[in-house]
Order: sequence, then C-alpha cells, then structure tokens
Amino acid sequence: MSATIPSADPSVDQQRKKGGLIAFLTRTRGNPETGSRVGMNDLLAWAYLGFGLLVILGPVIWTVLSSIKPETALETFDTRALPYAHIVEEVPGIGEKLLYEWTNDDGVTREVVKVGPTRKLTDVVATDDVETVLQAPRLDLVPRDEVRVATENYLDPLLQRGGASQFNIGRLLGNSVFVTVVATLITLLTNSMAAFALSKYTFRGRTTFMLLIIATLLIPPTIILVSLFFVVWIFGLSGTLWGVIIPAAATPTGVFLLRQYMLTIPDELLEAARMDAASEWKIYWRIVLPLSLPALAVLAILSVIWRWNDFLWPLIVLISDPSVHTIQIGLTAFSGENDTAYNYVLAMTVVSLIPITLVFGFLQKYITTGIATTGMK
Amino acid sequence: MNTVTRDLANEDDALVLDGVLKSYGDVDVIHGIDLAIQEGEFIVFVGPSGCGKSTLLRMIAGLENLSGGEIRIDGRRVNDVPASERDLAMVFQSYALYPHMSVAKNLSFGLENLRVDKDEIKERVNSASRLLQIEALMSRRPGQLSGGQRQRVAIGRAIVRQPRIFLFDEPLSNLDAELRVQMRGEISALHHRLGNTMIYVTHDQTEAMTMADRIVVLSGGRIEQFGAPLELYNRPANRFVAGFIGSPRMNFLEGRLEAVNTLAVAGIPSVHLARPVATLPARPDVALGIRPEDVLIADELEAGDPVSVGTQVPATANGVEQLGSESYLYCSLPDGQTLTVHHAGQTRVRRGDTVQLVFATAAAHVFDSTGELVVPG
Amino acid sequence: MTPIGLAAVLVGLVWVGYGSVWLLRNRSYRVTQAHHFLADLIGFPVEWAQNVWGRNGVPYAFLFPNLLLFGLFTFLPLLLNFYVSFTSGNSISLFSRPWVGTDNYQQLFDCDTVFEPRSCHASGFNFWTGMFNTFKFVLVAVPVLCIASLVTALVVNLTVRGRGFWRALFFYPVMLSPVVIANIWQWVLHRKGVLNATLGDAHGVVNSFAGIAGIDILASVMVGILLLITAERTWRGGGVKFTTDDSAEAEPSLPWASLFAGLVVLVTWWASPLAALGIGPVDASGAATGQLFGFDIGLCLALALGLLLLWQIADRRSLARPLVAICFALSMIALVLIQFDAVFDLGRFRPVNWLVTPKTGWPFFWLVFVYTWHHMGFYMLILLAGLQAIPRDLYEAAEMDAATPFRTFSRITFPLLMPTFTVVLVLSLIKAFQVFDEVYTLTGGGPGRETFMVVQYIFETAFTTSRNYGMAAAGSVIMAVFIAVFTLGQLWLTRRNSGI
Ligand SMILES: Nc1ncnc2c1ncn2[C@@H]1O[C@H](COP(=O)(O)OP(=O)(O)O)[C@@H](O)[C@H]1O
Ligand SMILES: [Mg+2]
Repeated sequence: MSATIPSADPSVDQQRKKGGLIAFLTRTRGNPETGSRVGMNDLLAWAYLGFGLLVILGPVIWTVLSSIKPETALETFDTRALPYAHIVEEVPGIGEKLLYEWTNDDGVTREVVKVGPTRKLTDVVATDDVETVLQAPRLDLVPRDEVRVATENYLDPLLQRGGASQFNIGRLLGNSVFVTVVATLITLLTNSMAAFALSKYTFRGRTTFMLLIIATLLIPPTIILVSLFFVVWIFGLSGTLWGVIIPAAATPTGVFLLRQYMLTIPDELLEAARMDAASEWKIYWRIVLPLSLPALAVLAILSVIWRWNDFLWPLIVLISDPSVHTIQIGLTAFSGENDTAYNYVLAMTVVSLIPITLVFGFLQKYITTGIATTGMK
Repeated sequence: MNTVTRDLANEDDALVLDGVLKSYGDVDVIHGIDLAIQEGEFIVFVGPSGCGKSTLLRMIAGLENLSGGEIRIDGRRVNDVPASERDLAMVFQSYALYPHMSVAKNLSFGLENLRVDKDEIKERVNSASRLLQIEALMSRRPGQLSGGQRQRVAIGRAIVRQPRIFLFDEPLSNLDAELRVQMRGEISALHHRLGNTMIYVTHDQTEAMTMADRIVVLSGGRIEQFGAPLELYNRPANRFVAGFIGSPRMNFLEGRLEAVNTLAVAGIPSVHLARPVATLPARPDVALGIRPEDVLIADELEAGDPVSVGTQVPATANGVEQLGSESYLYCSLPDGQTLTVHHAGQTRVRRGDTVQLVFATAAAHVFDSTGELVVPG
Repeated sequence: MTPIGLAAVLVGLVWVGYGSVWLLRNRSYRVTQAHHFLADLIGFPVEWAQNVWGRNGVPYAFLFPNLLLFGLFTFLPLLLNFYVSFTSGNSISLFSRPWVGTDNYQQLFDCDTVFEPRSCHASGFNFWTGMFNTFKFVLVAVPVLCIASLVTALVVNLTVRGRGFWRALFFYPVMLSPVVIANIWQWVLHRKGVLNATLGDAHGVVNSFAGIAGIDILASVMVGILLLITAERTWRGGGVKFTTDDSAEAEPSLPWASLFAGLVVLVTWWASPLAALGIGPVDASGAATGQLFGFDIGLCLALALGLLLLWQIADRRSLARPLVAICFALSMIALVLIQFDAVFDLGRFRPVNWLVTPKTGWPFFWLVFVYTWHHMGFYMLILLAGLQAIPRDLYEAAEMDAATPFRTFSRITFPLLMPTFTVVLVLSLIKAFQVFDEVYTLTGGGPGRETFMVVQYIFETAFTTSRNYGMAAAGSVIMAVFIAVFTLGQLWLTRRNSGI
C-alpha cells in the first residue's frame, strides 16, 4: 500500500530490511544500558500482558460492539463482531420480507424470500421471479445480512419510544449527574477545610481529631448500613437525593489526600498573607485552595467515580421512589425484568460506561498517581 | 530587669521589647529580651542559626504569640494586635511569593485586603515597581523569575504597604554570593531613601557589619550585646561576641594569668599585656583574644606597626593563603594551639616555615573562664 | 419535613442572612467584587469565628463541617446500631421500637450448631449461610486477588515501554460500576454468549484433529521437538552471566524451565502413566483409572515434579541439571504412551450456563473471577507504588553480588514490599468481607443460596421484604466482630512486617 523509498542499491535495501527485522524482533528490552536481548522473561511478561489485555478489554469491547447490534442479532446471539442485520426487502406483490440466499442442487445461488411457514421444506420464491414457488430445505436458507448500526438501541430509551418507554434514561442520568456534581462539590469543600485545619494549625485536640478521622477509615460502611438509614430517615432525607449526597460527603481519604498535599505548602506563604492582612478564610480561599488544585483534582475525580458508581446505598435510600433513581439503580431494575431487552440493557450499560471511560482516558495519570500516593480507597 | 529597659526606653522609640519570653511547650527559646529601637534605625539581629532570631522577629511581626513580656510599637502595646494591624511588612527568607498570582497581584493583594482605594493601589504598585526596576516583570508569575528578581518582588510587596517598620528574615540567604553583595547595597540604599525603621535578621556577621546602624547579637535566646558595628568589633562584651563578629574570627589563646599583666601560655614565652589585670584572683585560667590583624610577623614588621611590649612567639606556619593584597597564615604554637594571622600585603613565609610572631597586645582582650571580658582591648 | 430538617433550613437562613449583613457592615465590596462577597459568605462562619475567638478559634471552625458529617453519619450510626439490634418490629421510628434485649442475637444463634446453617431457624439459617459463603469467598478471593495483583504489579514494573498504558489498563475495571460490570459479564457468560461460542469453536477445532490420519505420529514428533528445544534451552541456560570468567557455567534458565515444566506436566497428564501401567483404583469396568478422589494421580505427581524442577532452578540448587535430565527422559517415555487421537477427541461440547447451573461451582468461580477482575487494578497500583519505592541501587548491589532473579525477589523485593503487601492484604480482606454489589448484580445470591453473602442478608432483612431492622442490625454487629477479629488476626500474623 504505502511505497517505501527504494534506495539506489538493491542490496542495501535487502540488508536494511534484514537488519531491521532482526533488530526489531530482538530489540533491546529491560535495561537499555546493559543491552540484553529479548529473553524468555520478556516473552512471558508480554504473554501475561497480552492475556490481561484480552481479559480486561475483551468483554468491554464485546459489550460495546454488541450494543450497536440490532435486536434480532442479539436474540439469536450472533457472535460475529460486526453488527449484522438481516436484510428486509420490499418484494413486489408480496410485501416486506426477510431476504435469504439459497444455493440449490445445481449450484445456482439465488436470492429468495419465504412465502410459507418455515418447515423442513419451506416454500420460497426468488426475488427476480416471484411467480414460481420453490421448495427449499430450511437448513440451506442462508440469511442475507448487511452491516447496520442499530442506533435505535440508544435512541429509543433517550427519546422514550419503542419498547423502552418505561425506562426514563434522561431522568436517571440527570439524577446521577446531580448527585455526582453536588456531592463532589460538598466533598471538596468540607474535606479541604478539614485538611487545611489539620495541616496548617497547631491547636488543642489536633491529634484527637486526626485519630477520629483515621477511625472512620476503619469502620466498614456496610456494618452501619441499617442504622445509617435510621439517621437519614430522622433527618427526613430518605427517598431524596440528599440522602445519598450528604452521608458520604465527608471522606477520610479526601482529608488525608489533601492534608498530605497541603503540608507541602510552605507556612511562610500563609504568614506572608497574614502580614498582607488576609483573614484566615481568605488565606484558605485565595492562597491554599488555588495552590492545592492538583490534589483537589485528584479528589474530584475520585469522588466523581465513587458517586457515579455508587450502588448499595442509593438502592437503599432511593428504591421507594422511581423518580429519584440513579442510572445504576435504573440499570439493575431494567436488566432484572423477565424478558430482558438485551439491546437496551447493553446500550444503557455503554452509556453509563462512557463518562467514566472518558474521565479515565483523559485523566488516568492523575488518577493512578493520586491513588498510588494515598494508597487508600 | 524591666525597670532597666523602661528607663532606657524613650517615648519616641519606634519599637520596644520588654522582657519578651517565648517557649514551645517546655522548651524555652527566648529568655527575656529587652530592646529599644529608635525611629529610622537599621537594626540587625545576628547570631548562629537556631538562636531564636526568626522567632523574635516573628513575635514582633505578630506571627507568633508571646509567652511573656511585652512589645510596644510607638508606645502602644501590640501583644494582642493581629499581624495585619501592626503596620509592619515582612520579607521572608523564601520570599513567600504567592505562586499562583502575577507579580502585580502579589504586590496588590495586601492592599486589596486592607481595602485601599483602587487608584491608590495602582499608584503605589507602580512607584514600587519603578523603584525596584521590576516594571517589566509585572505580569509574570513568581515561578518565571530568577532568584534576584523574586527578591525584588518580595521587597516590593513590603514597600507598597508603606509600613511603619520593615522586617527582613534572612532575605539574602537564597542568593549566590555576588548577588548577595549587590542586594545588600540595594537594601541599604532603600533604607536611606525611605528612612523607615528596619529590622534585619541574618546569621552572617558580614551582612550585619556592613548594613547595620546597630547590631543585636543573639545567642541561645539571649542578647549578648547591642551596639554599633564597630563598637561590637572593638569592644566585644564577651568571648561569644568577640568570636562571632569579625572574619576571620578572633584568635583565642588559653592560658593563665601569671602576674598582674603577664599571660602564660604553655610552651611559649610569657605575653605581656598592655594593661594590668587587677581584679582577678591569683593565677586564674583566662583566654587571650587577639584579632588576626593584631598578630604580626616579626620578620616583616614595617615602620609604624604597633609593636607589643611582649616577646616574640615562635610558631609553625601550617598553611599560607596569599590573596595578593593580603595574606593569611594558619599557624600552630608549640603547645598545639592554633592561630590565624592576617598580614596586609604579600608575605615571604612558606608552608612549614617557623615564624616569629609579635602580639599587638594593646588591642588584645582577656576573657575569664566564663567568657566575660576582664581586660578590654 | 422533620423538625431536624426544619432546623437545618433555619441554620442555612441565618447563615446567609446574618452573614450578608455582617459582611456588608464590616467590609465594603464593590460591585465587581461580588464573587469575593460570595466566597466570604461561604466562609462566613470561619470569618465570624476569627472575629470572636481570634485565630485560635479558626481551626475548629474549619474542622466543624467535616466532623459534623462524620459524627452524624458514621459515629452516630455506629452507636445506634447497637441500640437497634436490641429492638424489634419494623417501625423506622426509634421510639416505637420495642426493646427486646438480646432476642435478635438469640434468634441468630438458635441453632444446634452454627457450623450447620440448616440446623438454625429461619433468620439464623440465612445469616449463617451468608456468613459461611462470605468466609469461603474471603478465603478464596483474597489470596487470588493478592497474588494476581502482585504478579501483575511485578510484570508491569518489569516493562519499560508503555508502563503507563499497562498500569491504566489493569486499573480501568476499578473505575467501572458493579452494575455495568455485571451486565458486561452476564452478556459474555450467557449460555449462548461469546465465551461458550468461543469454547465451542475451539472444541470443534481440536476435535477435528482427532479424525486426521497420522495425527498421532505428527503430534508426537512435534511435541518431542518442543520438549527437546525447551529442555536444551533450560539446560544451557539463557540467563545473564554474572562473572567475567568464561569458564563459569551459565545457570539453567528459569523462564525456559517454566515452559519446559509446563510441557512435561501436560505430556504426563495426557499419557496418564499410572492408568497405562494399571496402577491405582479401578473403575466399574475393571480398568485402572489412575484417579483418586477425583484427582488424577499422574497429573498431581507431574505437577509436583514440575514445581520441584522450577524451585531447584530458581534457587540454583545442585539438583537442577539432573532433574532436567530426569524430566526429559520421563516425558519422552510418556510421549510414546500417548494416544493423541484420544487426546484430541473431546466429545461433544455442551454449553455451560455459567452463572445459573447449581452445584457446579461455576457461579462461585465466576464471582471470584469477576471480583478479582474488578478490584485487582487497585491493589496492583498500591503494590506498584511500593515496588517503585524500592531503591534501584539495591538491585544493582544484588546484581554485583550475583544474585539470581529469584533470590533477588525473595530476599530483596518481597521483604521490602512486605509492608505494602500487608496493607493490601488488610484492605482487601476488609473489602472482601463486605462483598455485595458484584454478587447482587451478577448472581443475586444464587443459584439457590450458593453465593448468598452476609451483606445481602443484612440488606434483604432490613430493606426488602420483612423490614426486620433489629435482626439486620444484630447481623451487622456480629459481622463487625468477625471483621475486627480477622483484621486483627491478620495484622498480628504479619505484625513484624506491617507498616501500620
Ligand atoms: N514551632 C516550633 N516548635 C518548637 N521549637 C521551635 C519551633 N520553632 C522554632 N523552634 C526552636 O526555636 C529555636 C529558634 O528557632 P529560630 O528562631 O527559627 O532560629 P534562627 O535563629 O535560626 O532563626 C530553635 O532551636 C528551634 O528549634
Ligand atoms: Mg531563621
């Protein structure tokens, strides 16, 4: 396809190719200084990584590919990668029919449509000769397919039409976005305030407060599930999105992450601001927050992921009122129905996957380093 | 003690420290400082690192609470006045410029906090930037400036405040040697121009000697001596000040007072002091303090050199530094004590030579075993 | 609206109202400084605290919101949990819940023996089933998870190019929600899904070999050649020489050895030598099966041999070379015995309903698998950070000391990684105990109660049918005790190495 520039001397070309190939295959790995060639170690490592690639991305990609397949392809569990749809054609005098291909005993292949019930020998007519009814063995009829992206899988739930009318994706997404955004803002504010106090002031009880926050790290959220529901109910928050937002807004992880970062901000800067007649709140708002932006970004990303993916607690608080369901609850409710509409479930799964994947794609470096440095979740 | 300072302190003193104490927990850092600083003076706090200079300065600034005593600015007690209302400005060791604000914003931040009129802010920032020649840098961030430029901005931030007193905490210690000399001159010039009271902290005695109107020598949280630079040089109050002020530092020869005015040092002929020491008990252990330039090389004596009454002292030259216009000899006496000799001009002495030294004992100090001065030079 | 909700609104009104008045009176704002005013309004309580108490009051004001949230939504529920566990009924109002003492606990423990959930009464049965399933899950999933993340971290740390990509790849599933993950895997694992289809295809391909004439000889020769190559490579050693002395023999190569050992095990398994020799228990038809308790003895022996070989080579034991020779000889003999036609003849493929069929162990297997898939990246990341914190010069020193890669790992990497590994162990243990999302969305606790976990018990008892909050609270208290005991036990076991 692409032309390589031929050199004047063909033997040089030959040499280059050979050297290039060998050099490529046995290129230096591991330590470039010591220049060891590809060993079995590297092959095994690459095999492992390749396996990882397959196991991790395989199912995801398969889901994405499946989500654009037409309903019929999903119902028949078509395992081809591309979205094939059975062609329907308007046959004059008969109407819209599914198109098949039939190779008869003489080796002639014709385009046919069924005109009778499917039996061992089915009545068919060729599209170019609708008058003659032929008898074709059912198993010899090969469906004529075309590649077609089934956008209706996505559009039906979004536009509230077709078989997805009871599935209000817009409201689910709206609720999820609201919870995610508001909870993240509250988390950023309260956590950074606490982190500021714990990193930049010496005051009576600092160690105690520090220990209290560590203690919350050690309390598994599931063991206070029941009584947390009582508390939320007492506050009148059950059945509202605030019942999901507020209890999880203060995160020990966030406090630690931010505190760690704020410790690196020199105290002299705050003192300079004090000399500059800034109030303590102003120091926090105008000096410390802008300087903590990298850490705040990490926490914001983490918080978005936590809130977006949150499942058990929203399920408990919100299940009673479908109008406040989040996307995660909606997805389970939808896929839990008896005759699962796989096309919509898969499409909505992908929709819920997209924001997280985008966030991750663009910010994976921040996220991975942020988590690695805090070492907590 | 307080009464003493009350007597010393005038009504028109710009700043008065009265028995100022500071302790962190059980550790006493400042042990009662009494000091009166006059209007328009350039005062330098000097002392080895860890002696409490910064702590003292920060207490004056209002960044640190007092554990005892009182600070008065213009006769007003300011112990409980917050930093921003003391009408001071401070230049920090690390400059403490706000990294996320432009230079202009750095300069105006404090004025905005004080709700100074907008035009007034512009006016002050402009004149300060003109004064410090940083007009071209106004839109840059501190990260984009060189060390010297940052230094200017930090000073500029103090100037725009038009404070009663300027405070500097080792402002030049992050600069290279050449720039340090230059900035030293500029800060002195600034003092002349503005005429404000300035308090300058450094551990470098050269800076102290060259810049100060009066120097406060601190050690271990106490004032060792307070006076004009040459006063400290010529009449140090004790062995600490004598050793700290002057470079290379003063020589101390440990010995014993034989007769009223004769000092015996093991292994060398008795040194006759210019003035008798009468007040001490018989044969006490003392130290003879003599500056390098007051030790003369017998072979290279010139007319007009002050010659001591004393005998010649043999010594071995372990090291010779020839700087052209002056020379330094590092000698050891027969009993192993070492001695630095400063010789104006060049010398014929080579390493390993034995030289005869003559002490200009008229300029020598004698300290008793507690370090107190018993014979002023 | 509840009184407390009303109070919250009032506080908000005072905040905004009084705050605005206070700020406007104490400071002046120009119209262009509206955003400064808003920022100050948010921080009004802090400003106010500074005004009233001076700078000493400020840190408390900064801490207050966070601590209030922790207090109300973490510590208060923790205490409340005990109270609720001593009450009964399905009322959500605390005051209308009758105090029943330890009744709930007694019901949970109302068994002949808790080790046999069947002997318990209704709630006890569910609870203890969940408890034992959770134990089983923890005992399987935690080691699997830890080892998988350790191996992955080591491999990713090894790669030079694209490390960031691989790190991100393995971390990606951590970001996905359990519902999404369940949907994805249910789709893949469906009875007619892509996994069964792929397996079926592979099955068909292998089966088709069986029919080809001469495949026996061909396969034997091919495998023989492979064995020869790997054995030779293992023997000769491909490792780096650590001495400049040319006469020094290279050590047997570990990577090649692992391939060789794998081949040996495979060949021995196919040959099932014991069955061929007629040793071991016989089946109904009187032929030797070579199996004991459902395990292929030949396979077990071969595995043991392979591991022995690997260990000897990895640790540079003296037996390494003789073992290579022995293994090679044994596998050659086994090769002759193999009927490749039989090996390739796998019979008809029946698609498995992975998540649904009871008593196959597959639902549990896939649960562990998907759980590992979901969470491994997180622990890998922590271990990777730990690995990268090990000073590089230690490895250089080890290289100067001619340490084998295996010894470098066992004497340097692992000990230094131990604190991090302990953190990973503890975190993964606490987390595995609370497994719910994946189970609930993937299998719903089924088939039957095969994957029914204790959190699902708490959830269902409290929030679905019976609304028996007291019983659920009692269950959580017991569960908390178990988590605490497990965690402390683990910390105690690893106390010397733990970084916490
Ligand atoms: N926040 C603090 N807590 C305890 N000790 C302190 C604190 N700040 C300073 N110190 C101690 O006070 C002494 C004086 O410190 P400082 O004033 O910074 O010295 P310097 O003269 O070098 O500026 C030092 O010994 C230091 O260890
Ligand atoms: Mg200092």
